[in-house]
Amino acid sequence: MKVMIGLEIHCQLSTKTKLFCSDSIENAEPNKNVCPVCLGFPGSKPKINKKALDYGIMVALALNCKINKSMFFSRKSYFYPDMAKNYQITQYEIPLAVDGFLETEDGKIRIRRIHLEEDPAKLLHVGGDITSAKYVLVDYNRAGVPLLEIVTEPDFTSPKQVREFLEKLSSILEHLGVYDSSREASLRVDANISLEGGERIEIKNISGFADVEKALNYEIVRQKGLLRMNVKIERETRHYDAERRITKSLRKKEYEEDYGYIFDPDLPEIEITEDWIKQIKANMPELPHDRVKRFVSMYGLNEYQAKVIVYTDKYLADFFEECCKSYKKPTEAAKWIITYLLKSLNWHGISIRQSKIKPKDFVEFLELIDKKVITERYAKELIKDYVDTGVSPRKIVESKLTKIDDSQLEKIIEDVIKENSKAVEEYRTGKTKALEFLIGVVLSKTNKQADPKKIREMLLKKI
Amino acid sequence: MICMTDYWKIDEKLVNHICAAAKLELTEDEKKKYLKQLEEILQVFKEIDEVDTSSVEPSFHPIKIKNNWREDEEKKYEWDPLGNTRHKEDGYFKGPKIV
Amino acid sequence: MVISKDQKLCDKMKSVKEFLQRAKAGDIDIEDFLSKVLEKTEKIQEKYQPFITINKKIEGKFSKKLFGLPISVKDCICTKDIQTTAGSKILEGYMPPFDASCIAKIKKEGGFILGKTAQDEFGFGTFCTNCAYVVPKNPYDVERSCGGSSGGAGCITAAADFPHIAIAESTGGSITAPAAFTGTIGLTPTYGRVSRFGLIDYANSMDKIGVIAKEVFDVAFMFSIIAGYDPLDSTSQKLPEEDFTKYLDKDVKGMKIGVPKEYFGEGVDERIAKLVWQKIKQLESLGAHYEEISLPMTKYAIPAYYIIAVSEASTNLAKYCGMRYGATEEIKGNFEEFFAKVRSKNFGEEAKRRIILGTYARMAGYRDAYYLKALKIRTKIIQEFKQAFKKFDVLAAPSMPVLPLRFDEIAKLKPIENYMMDILTIAPNMAGIPMISLPAGFINGLPAGLHLMADHFQEGKLITTAGAIE
Repeated sequence: MKVMIGLEIHCQLSTKTKLFCSDSIENAEPNKNVCPVCLGFPGSKPKINKKALDYGIMVALALNCKINKSMFFSRKSYFYPDMAKNYQITQYEIPLAVDGFLETEDGKIRIRRIHLEEDPAKLLHVGGDITSAKYVLVDYNRAGVPLLEIVTEPDFTSPKQVREFLEKLSSILEHLGVYDSSREASLRVDANISLEGGERIEIKNISGFADVEKALNYEIVRQKGLLRMNVKIERETRHYDAERRITKSLRKKEYEEDYGYIFDPDLPEIEITEDWIKQIKANMPELPHDRVKRFVSMYGLNEYQAKVIVYTDKYLADFFEECCKSYKKPTEAAKWIITYLLKSLNWHGISIRQSKIKPKDFVEFLELIDKKVITERYAKELIKDYVDTGVSPRKIVESKLTKIDDSQLEKIIEDVIKENSKAVEEYRTGKTKALEFLIGVVLSKTNKQADPKKIREMLLKKI
Repeated sequence: MICMTDYWKIDEKLVNHICAAAKLELTEDEKKKYLKQLEEILQVFKEIDEVDTSSVEPSFHPIKIKNNWREDEEKKYEWDPLGNTRHKEDGYFKGPKIV
Repeated sequence: MVISKDQKLCDKMKSVKEFLQRAKAGDIDIEDFLSKVLEKTEKIQEKYQPFITINKKIEGKFSKKLFGLPISVKDCICTKDIQTTAGSKILEGYMPPFDASCIAKIKKEGGFILGKTAQDEFGFGTFCTNCAYVVPKNPYDVERSCGGSSGGAGCITAAADFPHIAIAESTGGSITAPAAFTGTIGLTPTYGRVSRFGLIDYANSMDKIGVIAKEVFDVAFMFSIIAGYDPLDSTSQKLPEEDFTKYLDKDVKGMKIGVPKEYFGEGVDERIAKLVWQKIKQLESLGAHYEEISLPMTKYAIPAYYIIAVSEASTNLAKYCGMRYGATEEIKGNFEEFFAKVRSKNFGEEAKRRIILGTYARMAGYRDAYYLKALKIRTKIIQEFKQAFKKFDVLAAPSMPVLPLRFDEIAKLKPIENYMMDILTIAPNMAGIPMISLPAGFINGLPAGLHLMADHFQEGKLITTAGAIE
């Protein structure tokens, strides 16, 4: 069954201040980073943040868009408790940019438009969820944080492709330095999904790539079920309940919502000159696409490795490069990062930046393997401990090595020899593998806290 | 979207739709009164159809205003944002529920 | 503290010019003067009701250029910690956390904020009768309107028997109408020349803060103080500061005056037209030349203006919903029920009418024919004025088509008839050009106004011309 998905992605830009006033966008106690402008007090007037314009232009260039020579802000009118003015300053007829695209493994996704707008406030639903609360509490710290809205054409054919796109997009935004993925709900998605034979359903306000994928998968299963039972799918807006992993109906959509747009008369026209664009182009940081190519040519990674590292997250790519400064086997580093480090991070649901992993420690870890201080098998265990505790692998190894003194170890080895006389006999008859077996037994008896080298030496003396 | 044949014509259904959008609750008498007045107003406003604006750009301001922006510099606003309302709780504004 | 050398000085002194001279010389005990002014204000309030709020706290630094000169402020302009309602119940008790930029300038120059003057709710009116608190009465005849929407400003200016200047605001004629009806002088500056920061919006693309006073000097003097670029208002114009009183020293010799025939047409009281013509002839006798011209777009200005104004106004008024400030209710029901309750209860009749009309004009399916069309008509109106000002320095016309109307007459007007009363002020207001209304004479003891208009940023020419007539 053919699936069509289109996205509206709202990304918080990492400027210092809000889009139309000078309040910080940092997290704070409720209603601390607010002023009369972002609270919509009578008489207050917005003034556009130049940095947000610069950032918007950068993204438009990175997503291959046509940038309008002149753009305007509009008022989108609708009443809602998270709206300071009951209209949102956004862009309507003449947005920042149009007609771009971004490639995915399964094809090109067209970008319809990119525009700047202000984030609404944050609502807490007291005494229930959005559908059952008694009242709401409003924190306007988020009100006015610059959002870049990226609207795609309905070109996605699977939730997996959506996730790939979002990860890639996020990496681009991070490489541009316009977005901070560690902020809470800094990237939120409205997804429109329709199955062949059904109407379009909008799932509003999902944060987190994994949740977007889950919500869409759920929606496909749900809609397929309905279609199979010949239930008509009507246009509606749904809400994703991340805890229960289901979507819930918010409201039926009988007709296109009417936002009564007007041009915001408090704000001037913004003219985007060739010079301005040139200036921004000249200062554009390296984009993920180019970085992948560079990782292949400079570090000898294969394309798959390069893509995983670069598109997972900019900071992972930075981490890799930092490691490669002092560690001269980049492919080996990439292997350990992709296969084991990333797995461990994912298991904890954190990014490299949220973890305590440091390039210097990681390089030492790789060197422990190279110098055969630790076995690969142990290294795989060690990396989990490392991600768990943040204690450097070298320190973990050292502390474990010193935990058992020689006399204790000698005692353990004597016991093992007694208990495994068969293996000892085998070794003596020339089966070297038996020695490895004995080392393993000793090691496990020490809870892997002894140095395998030392065990070998002492074992050899005894048998 | 509401279907319309003549955009200078307003009826009760449209007034209801507008009031819902504008969050105004009117009595039936008020609606009737406003409807009648709006009809009279629109009869006069209709005259703008006479003006040929096919090659005219809209004016968003009386004077063209361009590129007036501010730099991304933080300025802390010292005040009590909750000072003008009684609907507050733990530093939050309190408001009505959604559904 | 300086003791007044002449204890009766405060009673006798009426002109701003005299006040400034004596204050500069140190002849006035400002606190004593201001407490007398407050006593007088109370009396005026009883008789004519120009104020929504009178500021009884005499505090501040009364030095610099203004020396404590009493300044009344239209209620839609935010004054820190003084109730500011824009004439609406929905903002009853609202205490702005900041001063409007023009108020900050006035305070910096040592002005005393006397109070907040009555107005039509959010500026929605021509006669200052759409008022939630008080309807000011015309000092020339208490049965008659002071004009709107800055009616309180016109009223106190005419009634004050002490030196005083009013800060007013115009979107479509709200300075000219009260100036004409109260026989005072009202300057509406070029759009963007006085910062709108702190002005409670009616229609942001047309709102202008200006001045009403008794003499042209007062207007020029106060305009010099409040004009200038303000980084807090994105539509503020970057122009050097100027002392506009210097334009009073110039004469009108050789000045070219255009007289638009549409402004003397149907619906305009012939007696007013006659007085205006006398003033034009007076200017001719002073060396100016005049010529009749035609501004055919005038007719379309009213619909285009109202469509733009209500489109913007209806979005501006959305923020009043009982959540952060202003009138509210117990939190009950969902947001739609709660907002509708607060809004329906506290907006006045005209505000509701304009919200409905504005919501309609920008609705999908209609906005092209209404809102966008009106924006294009504005372009044509601006072009028409620009064309005229290639040839003329100043345009002259009557300020209002009628003499101050009686309240019972106003009550009988249908909304559309009421809107048509703005016919002479709408076009220049839409075009954002500066204009000044000054007394043209009296008819049956009621004042009539002469309206002078100039090109963008040519307030100086208006001051010169008005000064010559005065």
